[in-house]
Amino acid sequence: MSQAGAPRITAFVCNWCTYAGADLAGTSRLQYAPEVRIVKLPCTGRISPLFILKAFEGGADAVLVSGCHPGDCHYTSGNYHARRRWGLLRKLLDLTGIDSRRLQFSWISAAEGQKFADLINDLTAKVREAGPFAGANPARKRLAPAPEEAQGPRRES
Amino acid sequence: MSPTPSLREDAARLLREGRVKLVIGYRAHAGGGQGPAVPEGACRAPLAGGGGRRPAFIEEAHRAGELVFDGACSQNLAAYLKKPEVRARMPLAIVASEAVGRSLVSLAAESQFAQGALLALAFRGERYEGVKEVEELAALAREAAPEPRRDPDIGRRLAELAAWPAQRRAEWWSARFSRCTRCYACRAACPGCYCQRCVTERNVPQWVSTAALGHGNYAWNMIRAFHQAGRCTLCGACASACPQGLPLMLLNTFLAAQAAEQFDVEAGLDPAAKPLIGTWDPEDDNSFFT
Repeated sequence: MSQAGAPRITAFVCNWCTYAGADLAGTSRLQYAPEVRIVKLPCTGRISPLFILKAFEGGADAVLVSGCHPGDCHYTSGNYHARRRWGLLRKLLDLTGIDSRRLQFSWISAAEGQKFADLINDLTAKVREAGPFAGANPARKRLAPAPEEAQGPRRES
Repeated sequence: MSPTPSLREDAARLLREGRVKLVIGYRAHAGGGQGPAVPEGACRAPLAGGGGRRPAFIEEAHRAGELVFDGACSQNLAAYLKKPEVRARMPLAIVASEAVGRSLVSLAAESQFAQGALLALAFRGERYEGVKEVEELAALAREAAPEPRRDPDIGRRLAELAAWPAQRRAEWWSARFSRCTRCYACRAACPGCYCQRCVTERNVPQWVSTAALGHGNYAWNMIRAFHQAGRCTLCGACASACPQGLPLMLLNTFLAAQAAEQFDVEAGLDPAAKPLIGTWDPEDDNSFFT
């Protein structure tokens, strides 16, 4: 949350469902919170864990990943592949301090403009409530290590 | 009776008969020292010490007498299969403790060597089991560990971490990752980290910063652990190799437990196993999607 409490939310969405859903929200003139930055990709199967890490590195307060409902993938199985990856990745990130308030997943079809608008409003409200992530974000880019960081214990299992 | 004589006989026989071109095993280190002391709380002795054991690469039958095997042979020899100079000497035989055996089964499942290109001189504990094909090695591994083995200390540490608020977990991990010097010893020691070009070395675009600073260290350690999800056999080679003593086994054990819990996958037991990441099931957990 760089300026005046505006959270920074990065949304990785697929071209065929969620992006079209967001588009529908727009053409339907639905109002939703403006803090989300959408990154469109061909398919959720294309969303590498590296993208999510990069977003947090760049100072995102939350990341949303969204694509076609199971069974509706334009490429048949991209979302199934992705779901399996995220089932593990979100647990790993949770263990290391990026919990489920900061990393959310959803399925939104091209017909669900209202669901998209509601989700973004809901997510934004939750992230506002959770507060800025900057201080606690383990992935965030800092140019030099903070002095207190240099003192971890030397060795452990 | 010490298992060493039959190990040496088998190794010599395989070389003499031309069934293998190379035997990888352990020999006693000329210095014979114990290396640096095992630090308090460390998983294993650091590789630098190796417990007075060194890897042995034997190409002539008359040198098979150098081979030894005992509890001090802790290095995971399967990591040498990444090296082109070793791969050029297939078919080869490798002295396989239970940990090495599981790594070999995992590599076989990922088609990292041709069928028949590798024989194991297999051990169960310190008991010599003879020359084994990969299939037999897998059977041995399943027999040795019918239930998944997890270090109870690590389980306790993970439960402790899970009970903390996210911010405290982040601070705890950041303090540990800040010690990482990005030497990639974890990667070098791991039999499973065999990509010829690692993602951390790709720089157009650069996904993982190579500077030994917080963000790059976090991304590297997350990606290293994640790329082992469902593949790591928990041999501990990465943690032993880490000169900074990062608690890598916490990450590995956590992901192995998740792979078992969510997808019923246990690495290193089935040479015909499908890769966890790369396959899917319509019945996979969908509960975390809104």
